[in-house]
Amino acid sequence: MPDILVVATAPDGKLSRSSLELVAGAHAISGPLGLGVTALLLGTGPGLADAPQVLHHHGVARVLRVDHPLLTAGESDAYLRAIEKAARAERPEIVLVSADTMGRDIAARLAWRLGAALVTECFELAAGDGAVVARRQVYGGRAVATMAVTRRPAVFSIKPRSLDVPAPAPVPGTVEDLAVEMDPGDLPTRVRQVLREQSDVGLEDAQVVVGGGRGMGGPDGFAQLGELASVLGGAVGASRPPADSGWVPLSWQVGQTGKTIRPALYVAVGISGATQHVAGVSGSRVIVAINRDPEAPIFSVAHLGIVADYREIVPPLIAKIKELKGL
Amino acid sequence: MAVQLSDEHRMIQAMVREFATRELLPIAADLDQHSRFPREALKRAAELGLMGMTVPEDYGGAGMEPLAYVVAQEELARACAGFQTIVSVNNSLVCEPILRWGSEAQKQQYLPDLASGRKLGCYCLTEPSAGSDAMSLRTTAVLRDGEWRLSGTKIFVTNGAEADLCLVYARSEPEPGARGLSAYLVEKSFPGASVGKIEKKLGIRCSSTTEIVLDDCRVPEGNLLGERGAGGRIALATLDGGRIGIAAQALGITRACLEASAEYVQQRRQFGRPIGEFQAVRWALADMATRLEAARLLTHRAAAMRGQGLPCTREAAMAKLFASETAMWAAHKAVQLFGGYGYTQDYPVERYFRDAKIAEIYEGTSEIQRLVISRHLPARS
Amino acid sequence: MDVVVCLKQVVDPELPVRDFAVDPGTQRQVREGRPLVISTYDENALEVALQLKDASGAKVKVLTLGPQAAVGDAIRLALAMGADEAIVVDDPRAPELSGAEKARMLAAAIRRIGHADLVLTGCESADWVERVVAPLLAEDLDAACVTFVSRVESGDGAPVVRRLVEDGCHLVEVRLPAVLSVTSDESNRPRLPKVKDIMAAKRKPVHTWSPADLTCSSAGDPGAGVEVRGVVVPERTSRCEFLSGDPAEQVAALAQRLRDQKLL
Repeated sequence: MPDILVVATAPDGKLSRSSLELVAGAHAISGPLGLGVTALLLGTGPGLADAPQVLHHHGVARVLRVDHPLLTAGESDAYLRAIEKAARAERPEIVLVSADTMGRDIAARLAWRLGAALVTECFELAAGDGAVVARRQVYGGRAVATMAVTRRPAVFSIKPRSLDVPAPAPVPGTVEDLAVEMDPGDLPTRVRQVLREQSDVGLEDAQVVVGGGRGMGGPDGFAQLGELASVLGGAVGASRPPADSGWVPLSWQVGQTGKTIRPALYVAVGISGATQHVAGVSGSRVIVAINRDPEAPIFSVAHLGIVADYREIVPPLIAKIKELKGL
Repeated sequence: MAVQLSDEHRMIQAMVREFATRELLPIAADLDQHSRFPREALKRAAELGLMGMTVPEDYGGAGMEPLAYVVAQEELARACAGFQTIVSVNNSLVCEPILRWGSEAQKQQYLPDLASGRKLGCYCLTEPSAGSDAMSLRTTAVLRDGEWRLSGTKIFVTNGAEADLCLVYARSEPEPGARGLSAYLVEKSFPGASVGKIEKKLGIRCSSTTEIVLDDCRVPEGNLLGERGAGGRIALATLDGGRIGIAAQALGITRACLEASAEYVQQRRQFGRPIGEFQAVRWALADMATRLEAARLLTHRAAAMRGQGLPCTREAAMAKLFASETAMWAAHKAVQLFGGYGYTQDYPVERYFRDAKIAEIYEGTSEIQRLVISRHLPARS
Repeated sequence: MDVVVCLKQVVDPELPVRDFAVDPGTQRQVREGRPLVISTYDENALEVALQLKDASGAKVKVLTLGPQAAVGDAIRLALAMGADEAIVVDDPRAPELSGAEKARMLAAAIRRIGHADLVLTGCESADWVERVVAPLLAEDLDAACVTFVSRVESGDGAPVVRRLVEDGCHLVEVRLPAVLSVTSDESNRPRLPKVKDIMAAKRKPVHTWSPADLTCSSAGDPGAGVEVRGVVVPERTSRCEFLSGDPAEQVAALAQRLRDQKLL
């Protein structure tokens, strides 16, 4: 049966969250297009033994597994070779790849090699009249482009955290192991070292995030934001300018190029909201913006706004919240 | 005659604006608060070519014409008037006269260091008893055994504390007034030269203003700038260029007042609405903007004429007079628009107010400018 | 080492919201009357190239696609920052072309330039944000590819690049020729051009080619069969509620709202 091929990865042996998000995308279009769904599971190590079950648990019956020592974190060219080989053998109609670090390296190259159509950075997938309809954010998140693809095969890369992990829908499933021949010498790029940055709170999982922007004026103000985040039980993030200027670690950056977050509460302090930052936070349930400029674009996406200097608002706000919470 | 900025001018303007935004805006209040000399920022300004903007590339400068210089100065002053003062003295009052009157040996010896920021210059004209009446100055210069010996006290010398090279005017000839003066390139390290009192000032506090004391200071014969007795002409011609730089400073301060006021009046709400909606406030901004444009046109015209080698004493004086009075007026207005907050250090307008005042005084007071302009008026209108 | 940096000129992404509009005819942002700037990350790519020039004497060429009249400022700035020469492919259709179509033309232009050890682009363009140009260039030029690079550490042997990832970075050894897409970080903040370099920029060579001068490859066409059905500014379903009063009142009102929404 012609198929949708979902590229699933299991770095460190655990099935990635984004793989399940892709499964949701596949399920959304498989019915209307009359296509089946197959997962291509890539990685190395003991975790690969259990990962297929998770896929079966979420409704994917057929799992192709490639277990190869070169399929380690960040080894994009190894993944590309393996996916290309599997795709040539399987000849799927549609391939779904996560637009994560690796996906950014390989999705377009895979499309080229397979002679496929390509739409990248999608946040939504749907199907209608035989076409796959994908939506993506453009112009720094100010507009949404709707793309329709009728050509096959077609490759789509999906932004992490745009789709929800699907509800469990267990099906009896199969696992086929696919052998892929690869030597280190075949790869034009090789990861020499993986450097992890220390970061305490998972920004992407926090329910409350307080973000600081260029309006903070320097690194010192972020201490106040840290305190505010703390009393609210959340984490601190930043837009691009503070990260670029070295005021905060890069891992704090939120936005189209940094992390996409969807907390219940996002407080944007001294953030103009003019660029791709908004694209990374617009899924938040409640957005509060504090900015001196009443024309700042952040106010067009915020639910609550205060036009003021953050130095006049944040300290009393911290005190007020402590008072209300009895801290 | 409207003055067009070329593509290069606009790129220079954009670059200096970006430099000022990145390097000066974050530190301006602190520099003023602590009267701190902005050594690091000056180094970066020098790397970009801002310390010898009009010095030809052969001598290590940026080879800019006066109009580009003025555009750059406005951007610096908008962020920090004190910083711009330091830069402008080095450019207009030290590099320029060396360029115009220096021997080839003097140019080779001093310009590359001044333009690259390795050395800083200062201008020593004013004395305790010779301010507006500068040509009556009394510092003496005597030629003895192949050396000049200079004695006297100079005051109100910008960059006095940090400068390596001083352009000093002294009386070397028996004639009274301008014709008795000569100009000398005095290195701070020459025996007999020292820094005296350091002034505590109302504004432009990050630039030092000091006495320079010359006590039988020994200056090599080769350090006479221009001819004996030409000092008066050199001083006055140099001030023509300096005036255009001060006008540019005043433009920067005025623009800072306008931008700060325009932002503030949108945020500040009284009587249920932003005060920017009240007519009196809107009119104040309209006046500020109009006067800024007028001052800019005068300044750019003077700079363009100077760039073409045309005499522009009258135009430079008009630009300096109008721009400096506009800056003071605008700063005064800005503090008023900010109300009580404008009087505190939480907002920058009180600093603009304190900085603006000097523009009406140095490099020729407004009164002197009016004298100069009146001398250039046609006998019949 | 020969480095080519691909630059794109876009409508200033920092434009106030009220000046942003989409032309329904072209399905693209209205450019008329809006200021154009070098696409954000392309400047970082140029900075990385210039750092290679400073460190090891690499020759840096900048390449851009666009209507000749529109790209002058970007090219001049790039030359003023230190690029050695510029190539402009004068194509009036450029603003409407997809990333795939552009990549094809850029690859053809790079082949015509001759030799490039490294091709650098921004990690994404500030406007259309597809992130496809670098990988497609790599395929078209049969080169290696790493995206989201912040720095190139070149020493003896194959260069090592620093690729930024969600929680840190990878050091990746790359075989040349390679295409790298560059993202911003502290180490690659675009330098300010010196005054003398701004003046000297007009003496540096700028070559203008027309699309007809290029031989585009016919392989792979990821853009074909992809139709742009619409580009819309989403309706804002909620209006921002501004909390007024003095800071104490604003803080009290905000705290109350957060409590009401069970966010405290």
